Amino acid sequence: MISGVLVYSSRGELVLNKFFKNSLKRSISDIFRVQVINNLDVRSPVLTLGSTTFHHIRSRHGDNLWLVTITRSNANSAAIWEFLYKLDAVMNAYRLDREEALKEEFMIVHEMLDIMLGGNGIPIDTELNSVIAQMSVKPVRNMGGLLDSPDGNDVLSSSSSPTSSAGELHFPKFLTKRSSSFLGQGDSTSDFYDNNKITWRPKGIIHKKDEVFLYVNERINILVSRDGSILKSYVDGTIDITTHLSGTPICRFGLNDSLGMQSEDEKKWLAQQQRHSGSDFGNKNFIPKAAAGSVLLEDCKFHECVSLDKFNRNHIIEFVPPDGSMELMKYHVRDNINLPFKVTPIVTHSTRDNEIDYRITLKSLFPGKLSAKDVVLHIPVPPSTVDCKISVSNGHCKFVPEENAMIWRFNKYNGLTENTLSAVTVSTSDTTQLNLQQWTRPPISLEFEVMMFSNSGLVVRYFTISGKDSKHRAVKWIKYISKAGSYEVRY
Amino acid sequence: MSDQKVFARYKANEIVTDLQHFGVKKFKSNITRRKNALRKIIANLVLGNYGEMSVLFSELLKFWQIEDDLEVKRICHEYIRVIGALKPQQAREALPFIMDDFKSRDEKLQIMALRTLVLVPVKELSDQAFDCIISLVNHKSPPEQVTRTAIYALLDLDEIDHERVLGLSSILHDIVKAQSSSPEVIVAALHTLYSIHEKNANMEPFRIPLELAFDMLELLPELNEWNKATVLEVLTTSVVPQHYLDTHEMIELALPYLQQVNTYVVLNSLKFIMYLLNYVDVIKETLAEKLSNSVIALLDKPPELQFLVLRNVILLLLSRESSLLRLDISYFFIEYNDPIYIKDTKLECLYLLANKETLPRILEELEQYATDIDIQMSRKSVRAIGNLAVKLDEDSVHDCVAVLLDLLEFGVDYVVQEIISVFRNILRKYPNNFKANVTELVKHTEVVQEPESKNAMIWIITQYSDVIPNYLELFRVFSSNMFSETLEVQFSILNSAIKFFIRSPTKETEELCMDLLKGCIDHENNPDLRDKTLMYWRLLSLTKTSRISNAITFESLKSVLDGELPLIEMNTKLDPTVLEELELNIGTIVSIYLKPVSHIFRLNKTKLLPQSPILNPNKDLLPVVGNSFPPTGANRDRQNSESQSSTKSRKTAMMDDYDKPAEKINQLKGKRKSSSNNPSKLSRKPSTLLRKLSMKRPFS
Repeated sequence: MISGVLVYSSRGELVLNKFFKNSLKRSISDIFRVQVINNLDVRSPVLTLGSTTFHHIRSRHGDNLWLVTITRSNANSAAIWEFLYKLDAVMNAYRLDREEALKEEFMIVHEMLDIMLGGNGIPIDTELNSVIAQMSVKPVRNMGGLLDSPDGNDVLSSSSSPTSSAGELHFPKFLTKRSSSFLGQGDSTSDFYDNNKITWRPKGIIHKKDEVFLYVNERINILVSRDGSILKSYVDGTIDITTHLSGTPICRFGLNDSLGMQSEDEKKWLAQQQRHSGSDFGNKNFIPKAAAGSVLLEDCKFHECVSLDKFNRNHIIEFVPPDGSMELMKYHVRDNINLPFKVTPIVTHSTRDNEIDYRITLKSLFPGKLSAKDVVLHIPVPPSTVDCKISVSNGHCKFVPEENAMIWRFNKYNGLTENTLSAVTVSTSDTTQLNLQQWTRPPISLEFEVMMFSNSGLVVRYFTISGKDSKHRAVKWIKYISKAGSYEVRY
Repeated sequence: MSDQKVFARYKANEIVTDLQHFGVKKFKSNITRRKNALRKIIANLVLGNYGEMSVLFSELLKFWQIEDDLEVKRICHEYIRVIGALKPQQAREALPFIMDDFKSRDEKLQIMALRTLVLVPVKELSDQAFDCIISLVNHKSPPEQVTRTAIYALLDLDEIDHERVLGLSSILHDIVKAQSSSPEVIVAALHTLYSIHEKNANMEPFRIPLELAFDMLELLPELNEWNKATVLEVLTTSVVPQHYLDTHEMIELALPYLQQVNTYVVLNSLKFIMYLLNYVDVIKETLAEKLSNSVIALLDKPPELQFLVLRNVILLLLSRESSLLRLDISYFFIEYNDPIYIKDTKLECLYLLANKETLPRILEELEQYATDIDIQMSRKSVRAIGNLAVKLDEDSVHDCVAVLLDLLEFGVDYVVQEIISVFRNILRKYPNNFKANVTELVKHTEVVQEPESKNAMIWIITQYSDVIPNYLELFRVFSSNMFSETLEVQFSILNSAIKFFIRSPTKETEELCMDLLKGCIDHENNPDLRDKTLMYWRLLSLTKTSRISNAITFESLKSVLDGELPLIEMNTKLDPTVLEELELNIGTIVSIYLKPVSHIFRLNKTKLLPQSPILNPNKDLLPVVGNSFPPTGANRDRQNSESQSSTKSRKTAMMDDYDKPAEKINQLKGKRKSSSNNPSKLSRKPSTLLRKLSMKRPFS
């Protein structure tokens, strides 16, 4: 399927090429450089010349390398782009997403590609943990690499939120030390690699301490029109899991989604809620009351280890996790969303002095006990602005000329708190009324991160592990993280 | 010397000295240095330094023998794969070494060797590859990974020696039928068979018996994501259902895979289901819902995949009269940070999704985009509004026009030009509804610069000259520059001048007309333009003489040159056979371009729906029925009613609905401060400056 893989530096220097077809000319890499990298007008991630197609992505990490595939027939673009993103993730785990490192250790990428792509360039195995297990070299920060991966994925899918950079999850320190959890981790990893049914988990893993970390990551996307009506709103969530469990554990968990909550289960759960105890995760009382009901999941997608059969039949999410970290499921919610922040802008154009007058109220709607961090309101101003006179009730606000915007920033924002900003712009002297009237007014955007709050109201109800040889009870942790995806308000 | 950069151009003898220097002594530190030297070879191959590197062949062979480090082996194999194509003789010399690796115990080495044999286009090597593969598949318990590589290798070998591969295909058939090997090997065999059939034009399309298809579907849970997707890919068009029951059962088995994270699996399962829907009696409403939800959830992927999904949404929207997908338009609203290719595609989706109910919301959005910073985007949304006006019925057109007129007041020149261009189409479809607005449009005559909008403006002035008092004056704006215009505009000017004259043959119009005709014949070189001018000239002179000969009347001339125009229709539909083919190619490259496979990839076969007694002749007649199964019914009802009401309720969902009294309100304090560094601040700083200066520190 894939005839060749090319990797270029961000400036367009070819750093790696590997071909899976003998019919390709090696000079084909120049064609891509001329047609795409050096061509600023190209606006598409796919280019077909004759019968040759180039698919490319820019690496989301490190030096923004160009990862490119060459295909010669009507290949499947979904497979190719999925593969490229997986390759990006594996390269990131090995810190080979930087040009300098890659120029030294490119043979590691050759090995990766040998594992990930079978004969004829068909992707065969791209799962991070499984690829690492088959590699002769392990990533330097072994567990760190594994742990970062779900968050790395998060970065992929939320291109608009720079706050979700890698390494943001906080893990207890003892975790990172244990780098050799694989029993037979030595030369011939493929020997103990059981290919029978569970290709993603080697047999005989033993951990001193059994632990599970669940991360419910949510990004809320909302678009508010000028008159305050909500044009669209939805939550994209992922549940990431990090497991350190011995043996071959079978994990099972339930959510408060409305499909799964039909039976007596529901009553039990409600009763449990009232008692506020005996639940698996002791910190449930942090979740706002609004979440106590059930959530309608529009769609969910699962990692390959989840038995889809069981889910469709009984709405039970059951799986044997690979050791380490992974993105367990993705979901999508549209109804009854808990909005964490409300932005009310009043932006007027005063005819007298060629200035724009901003009055913006930012109000947090999540419970007072919680607080959000890294709250940033990005307020665009006309390009002709040279200065802004700003007054804020809290936080810091600065006019940033290179972005044509005022940036209002809070390190910490408490729940149920209201803050106000008042500002006027000062324009260059040659600005006309018309200039300001014709200003396109890009939307105000908001970024934030709230811990232990769920935008969708989704709650993990229970999490059980029935392993074969786990002697002691596993420790379970859960963390809810709500972030802004694209939170845009027009005015 | 070894501390040099790996990634730089080297002369062959530099690397040779490196290798010899560290090759002899058996120190540990030398191993890494030697490796570095070897890596330089690969780096130089990437840099295109083939001539120098091919000299190193004999050096490399030394290491091939003595080293058993995998990385060194990998370097050797990579070297042969590149150099072997250029120097077949060297490839032949390396053959014994490759075979040594193949005979080793290490699976990874075996795989490497096998791939090298296939990848070097030298006959001796490919012959050897055939032998290896035959020995492998005849082996009693061959190692799995190696077998899989061998099977896929046949795909490459097929391009070299099709007949010989065909001879081996019975072995693959056996593997698939027996279902006794490991799942990976079965999938590889199945995929290889399918691909060979697809690649060769003279072969029949690949077919799978029903039982085998069910076996494969039941195998799915045991496979990893790529293999799952592969199976679903192969099954599409390969299995031909003969009874409705079979079809429904297969759909049930494929449904869960709509919920995988991997887009490849989801789209392939979607493709398989869409394929099967050609062989059903009814479609369940819940199925339609599941399909739409899974498509929507894919919009959370990285932009490139999102783009692919959106293109396929367009495909699916086009494929049926009333699409199976139930999509809320809000998902296709453009976000500020979307890459331009996604914005474009979303715009197209919105255009296709527009109907009477959704129009107000869509128009509101499009009006937003029309004032976007990106000029392309802004133009495209204006164009979309115009196209909607032509596409939809007469009730909607007034809304569209109202928006366009609003935007006209916005006054940015490219928006105005675009509006003029689309207005021509609207006027073509509704010639009499917007006469009153024409005067508004022609106010912008001076602004139009581009050929297309000029053309449109000239056409509008000509067509509605009866409501524009100063039409000749406006027309002169264009006609006075006749000879510096592009050809198409020149044609328009010429046509219009003739029409003006024919409608009202006054002194003024005659003069205008004659000036232009003369000018064209005297100054213009373009043969088309000259021909057209001459034709007009002769026609006009015929009517002058016709009073005597009665050859042609002025009236008939008028009907020829200024006749009624046919109404235009907006045709967005693709050819049904093309659509049918595209539906079988969901997720592939052609689904992005929305063109038939044969237009882009000449060598690929066109996929067709296989015949079957239950093949639906017309899928638009297929009934979509509500779900009759009670278990999830109650819930679905809730959702249905919600989604019905949601279109209305969402419209009115306000930001203010989300409110809670704040516990703490921080009041604004103090006066507005300037945020940029005020120069006046400097004057307050001397105290700190002084302190710095007076710090007693020796200058270093």
